[in-house]
Amino acid sequence: MTKLSQIWRTTTVRLTALFILIFVVFSVVLLGYMAFQSSYAIQRQQTRDIDREIAQLQQIDANQGIRALAFAVQRLASRPGPGIYYLGTEVGQMVAGNVANFPPGVLSTEGIYTFEYDRERVFGDAPQSAPGQEHEDGQALVRTVELESGFRLVVGRDIVERRGFTAIIFGGFVVAVIGIVLLSVLAGGLTAMRVLRRIDGISATSQKIMSGNLSERVPVTKRNDEFDALASSLNEMLDRIEQLMQGLKEVTDNVAHDLKTPLTRLRNRAEAALRDEADEAKRIAALESTIAESDQLIRTFNALLMIARAEAGTPSGAFSDTDLSAIIRDLAELYEPAAEEEGGKLITEVEDDLHLHANRELLGQVVVNLIENALKYAIRSETKDAEPAPVVRISAKSSDDRIVVEVADNGPGIPESDRERAMERFVRLEKSRTEPGSGLGLALVSAVARLHKGTFKLEDNAPGVRAVLSLPRRL
Amino acid sequence: MKILVIEDDSEAAKYLIQALDEAGHVSHHAGDGETGYAMASGMDYDVLIVDRMLPRRDGLSIVESLRAEGDRTPVLILSALGEVDDRVTGLRAGGDDYLTKPYAFSELLARIEVLARRASPAEADTSYKVGDLTLDRLARKVMRGDEEILLQPREFRLLEYLMKHSGQVVTRTMLLENVWDYHFDPQTNVIDVHMSRLRSKVDRGQKVQLLQTIRGAGYMIRD
Repeated sequence: MTKLSQIWRTTTVRLTALFILIFVVFSVVLLGYMAFQSSYAIQRQQTRDIDREIAQLQQIDANQGIRALAFAVQRLASRPGPGIYYLGTEVGQMVAGNVANFPPGVLSTEGIYTFEYDRERVFGDAPQSAPGQEHEDGQALVRTVELESGFRLVVGRDIVERRGFTAIIFGGFVVAVIGIVLLSVLAGGLTAMRVLRRIDGISATSQKIMSGNLSERVPVTKRNDEFDALASSLNEMLDRIEQLMQGLKEVTDNVAHDLKTPLTRLRNRAEAALRDEADEAKRIAALESTIAESDQLIRTFNALLMIARAEAGTPSGAFSDTDLSAIIRDLAELYEPAAEEEGGKLITEVEDDLHLHANRELLGQVVVNLIENALKYAIRSETKDAEPAPVVRISAKSSDDRIVVEVADNGPGIPESDRERAMERFVRLEKSRTEPGSGLGLALVSAVARLHKGTFKLEDNAPGVRAVLSLPRRL
Repeated sequence: MKILVIEDDSEAAKYLIQALDEAGHVSHHAGDGETGYAMASGMDYDVLIVDRMLPRRDGLSIVESLRAEGDRTPVLILSALGEVDDRVTGLRAGGDDYLTKPYAFSELLARIEVLARRASPAEADTSYKVGDLTLDRLARKVMRGDEEILLQPREFRLLEYLMKHSGQVVTRTMLLENVWDYHFDPQTNVIDVHMSRLRSKVDRGQKVQLLQTIRGAGYMIRD
């Protein structure tokens, strides 16, 4: 019973039931309409027959006189069949015919009438009357015309047979409705079951995934129907989730490495400072490096938080009309002395008035990260003497509805295979692992680019790396 | 200086009060928002240090109430929330400065000393003088003795900020915020390079070195 009520609660079954109901109502209306139409067609046919006979009889009356008419009527009246004929006076004195007792009014005025009459007296047989039943009333459809001679000519049909026909149609109609109901319940039930089975399959898969088996996938059949489309997109989503989980695991591993290493160093230094043989100067040095190390850790945390915020999408209130030209010029000016200190150069080629709707602080941080990164790469190279002076070139220009910022260096560059990875969190290419830095700089650039619906990629500058940030003017 | 520290973490508060004490300031402590508000409105302090997330009453509402009552005591807001938006909300509520946890004590000390000075009316001076160095804000002219020093616009603003707070330590972050208007932490020594350029223009060949590096804290200009 619970099972049944559970099934009833499913959407498929309810929908099926609703459609069966709608289908049955429509079938009833349609069949009813057809029954009405066919009985109406029969009536029209009978009326036409009556009119034709009257016309023929009137022709006989006009051409050959009333006597011939009387004979003709008598001949028609004595034929077996549903015909009703009367030729006589207005008050009911019959000259020829088979029915004389008309209800009042039928003989006096011309027109079409339907009325009940004593069928047994006319036909004698009463084939449909059951034994014990005195007699059965007939149903007549007649037309009365007044002849020139003043006689009344009445021609009609017994329509009890038509009623029988209607009954047959109605019987068929009932059978058809019952059949339709049964068939649609059956078809609906089958459809519902099939749909439920497919959905159960999907639920079962998600249950398995929830219990920890992330590699489980929703079965896809060869039918290529909407359930397969759903299953495919669910599977794609699961692939993406698995990928993200994998990424998260990598990040966790990297966090473990990149945060634990400095924490271990920090702890070791503190321990060393506590040792007895350590003198005052050593202790102070140890404490100072402890502070420096924890500052670096705080920076890493801040960068991580910033990336997380950028990836989650900061509230739009933080977005405003931002002059990227001014940001780049300011920051280039800020870093220029630092570059020159290292014997290098910072060249800026920035178009005026590059305005866009953006988060100023995040964009500033991005430009800083790009400049710092480029300086680091330009300056750091094994064969320092042979290398030309480090040059970092920052350009920003508008093209169509985008603003393209390029920061290029002439350092050793990044091999093409490593470029994608360089933009991931915590990835520091092996060579740079020993350099200071959180490994989060380019990951933040990527995240901020995505937040502003832009793109970020690293290209070959031959020599060196060119970081290309492309942002839409409008979000 | 008389300082009120409204901070619920007793460990952090103890450390802060001790450090302020060592720096020669008198400080009081309130452990929750209600007590802090009562103490701040009942007594006269030179600076309030208010943690943003407090039990019973949050830091921003304390600052808002004090400002609504016309209390202009400088407020430094401390917070673990470091985003730009949080910072903007903090300053909009009436805070005068915003510092993100964890912070270096030297940074906090430098900031509250500048805040306490800000409350005094020296703000509107049109020229600053430290030793034989003068800076004319209106004519944008810098003189060392009888000799004019030519500075780039940014160098002028840097020197202007330092001289405005002469005798006080200003940190690298303070310089970045006030001279460049950015609120991030540069990884490299960009500010130091600017300072050494400024120093070479101001102090080179002079007997008295005015621009001083304060180890582990920042810079100071004094004679």
